Amino acid sequence: MQNETIKQAPLLEARNLTKVYEDGVKALDNLQLTVHPGEIFAMLGGNGAGKTTTINIFLDFIQPTSGNAFINGIDANSDPLEAKKNVAFVSENVQLYPNFTAMQNVDFFVRLGGKSQYKRSDYEDALVRVGLQREAFDKKLKDFSKGMRQKCGIAIAILKDAPAILLDEPTSGLDPKAGKEFTRLVGDLRDEGKAILMSTHDIFRAKEISDHVGILNAGVLVARKTNAELKGVNLEELYVEYMAGYMEEVGEPSALINNLS
Amino acid sequence: MFKLIFIKELKEIIQSSRFTISFAVCSVLIILSFFMGAQNFLASKAQYEAAVQENRNQIAANTEWTMVEHTISLPPQPLSTIVNGISNDIGRNIEMRGRGELRANNTRFNDEPIFAIFRFMDLEFIFGIVLSLFAIIFAYDAINGEKVSGTLKLCFANSVSRATFIGGKLAGSFVGLSVALLIPFLIGCALLPILGIQLSSDEWVRLALIILSGLAYFGLFLALAMGISAMASRPSNSFLIGLVVWIFAVLIVPRASVLISGRLVEVPNVDEITAQKNRYRIQLFNEDRPKMANFSVPDGTEPSEVMSLFSSHMSELSSTRQEKIDAFTERINEEYANKRKRQEEVALGLSRISPTSVFTLASTELAGTSLRLQNRFMDSANEYQNVYSNFMTEKTGQDGGGGFRMIMITSDDQEEPEYLDPNEMPQFEYSRASLGEVTENSLIDIGLLILFNLLFFGGAFVAFLRYDLR
Ligand SMILES: Nc1ncnc2c1ncn2[C@@H]1O[C@H](COP(=O)(O)OP(=O)(O)O)[C@@H](O)[C@H]1O
Ligand SMILES: [Mg+2]
Repeated sequence: MQNETIKQAPLLEARNLTKVYEDGVKALDNLQLTVHPGEIFAMLGGNGAGKTTTINIFLDFIQPTSGNAFINGIDANSDPLEAKKNVAFVSENVQLYPNFTAMQNVDFFVRLGGKSQYKRSDYEDALVRVGLQREAFDKKLKDFSKGMRQKCGIAIAILKDAPAILLDEPTSGLDPKAGKEFTRLVGDLRDEGKAILMSTHDIFRAKEISDHVGILNAGVLVARKTNAELKGVNLEELYVEYMAGYMEEVGEPSALINNLS
Repeated sequence: MFKLIFIKELKEIIQSSRFTISFAVCSVLIILSFFMGAQNFLASKAQYEAAVQENRNQIAANTEWTMVEHTISLPPQPLSTIVNGISNDIGRNIEMRGRGELRANNTRFNDEPIFAIFRFMDLEFIFGIVLSLFAIIFAYDAINGEKVSGTLKLCFANSVSRATFIGGKLAGSFVGLSVALLIPFLIGCALLPILGIQLSSDEWVRLALIILSGLAYFGLFLALAMGISAMASRPSNSFLIGLVVWIFAVLIVPRASVLISGRLVEVPNVDEITAQKNRYRIQLFNEDRPKMANFSVPDGTEPSEVMSLFSSHMSELSSTRQEKIDAFTERINEEYANKRKRQEEVALGLSRISPTSVFTLASTELAGTSLRLQNRFMDSANEYQNVYSNFMTEKTGQDGGGGFRMIMITSDDQEEPEYLDPNEMPQFEYSRASLGEVTENSLIDIGLLILFNLLFFGGAFVAFLRYDLR
């Protein structure tokens, strides 16, 4: 798989991406990554590792201090309107308009994504596909649980039908069953040829579906493994060590890297 | 894309409970204000008609024109139903005199002081205070609320420009809310004829202009609140800032400008001026005293001759004195009027910092109840004074200017005294400003309302272009 994708142009690419916030915090340090069509790249990292910062740069919510983010070859920060036509986004905590029904929300955001040809039945198909109960279609969002909102979010991303998808910790806070369903859906989308950049702190989930895993620590991509390379690793040990390493602010990721390789 | 955001904003507003509640409250208030305004107008009209009738009766009960105490009255302005302006505060009746200064008295609030405490709830109040507050309540979290709730990020994950987004939001909320507000207004307007208020086509146009300026006023507060919402990080902050701005615009600036202008331009009060005139009168009289005492006649003049010489000497002195007094009064009145006018101009100019004052000035002007109402009434009365004076001179030989009257009643039992015909008295007409005049006079303020709109819409736009979307 890797040999095929290398020939194709990447749909998502971070090139020497560095972000220093106004208060001097270096959130990203010379980040390099590429995601090709039909690939899932999992950005693994604890809180404050720089995952959201990366995604925010791709969506032009913030400007990088240096380096570039490309979506389908378009610089996301110099031509954001064009770049964003090629990407769909599901956040950690999907928020929709509380006074609109699921249908109304899906309709609005999908149209905003540039797709106006859909009929109600298309929306229904997408919502069924993501596993939302039919009774909820015409309920107002304010009564929705987080899981239901995440489902709507992914349905909107599916309907936008963009070649690249950005997922920012999409399964955090979901119960195991919902998390599993969500992961399965993401896998299906990859199989349809989407290029997916997913941030997560769940190493098990990352290993389960990702083609590539990059471990981000304090803005530095300290390790990069293919799924095959992760196979023999003791995940539990890695996880504990990795999290502990982060939590104690060791800042020295060599142990983690040794363990990985 | 614009249309999509526009319609979303519109739907979002209409589906919110915030809208349901405030729409209900506004509708009730607006329709109620039409009702109350109509009641108020009809009461004023009845009082006016009674005063006119009373005056006629009084004339008809007299047999001598010299005995008539003629009073003219200011008819109520039909549009005071909508915008009271100063119509309740100014004197409505003037006791006519052939010459000298005229004074208007009997204000509505003087008759019914209870209303002076709470004022009336007219449309100007509804717009100026209630609707501007609603504009802030609706828009204070328009931007930062979407940021806090997270929908802003999801929107801008798409190929949407900020200009389109804020433009759609501004237009959507403005159109949504103003169309909603127009409904109770139209109901109120339709009620007017039913409530017994007949408006001329002129006045309908003016009413439409008042409502349009009200909507412009509402729009500028909406844009202002949305701009604040795009500058403050949290909705609670922007609500607080909006409220402070509102308090200044609605409550502080208009009052402060009057106080400040009072400091900047000193104007003597009316009592001071009257005292000044009286002092001058006494001074002149004292100056004339020696001349009166020095009256002498050549010896041997007949006593009756002496009497008539003395009388003409005295009246000569008196009329030169009167001439001087008249000149003095005229000068002092003019000075007073000029100073007062300057003070007014300063006050109005200062108050125009606040959109609320601008709206008040525009709407009262259009309704014919602005400060000009008093001036026009006095101008009309002064013009009428000449007509009245001529009429009285013709009837009685005196101009009816007051002073001593000598009345000789020769009783003749054979002859019934003949009562006066009130129809002979020339009619007083209050000359209302024409549509052209009021629109011309309100042009500055309507222009300012538009300017405020452009300013605040532009401000909201710029604030959002620089907004941190995360
Ligand atoms: N607006 C900001 N200003 C300053 N520092 C920030 C800002 N946003 C995030 N950071 C810092 O940047 C680092 C990376 O944050 P983030 O990308 O949100 O991490 P993650 O999504 O991986 O949890 C953290 O140390 C965080 O405190
Ligand atoms: Mg994050």
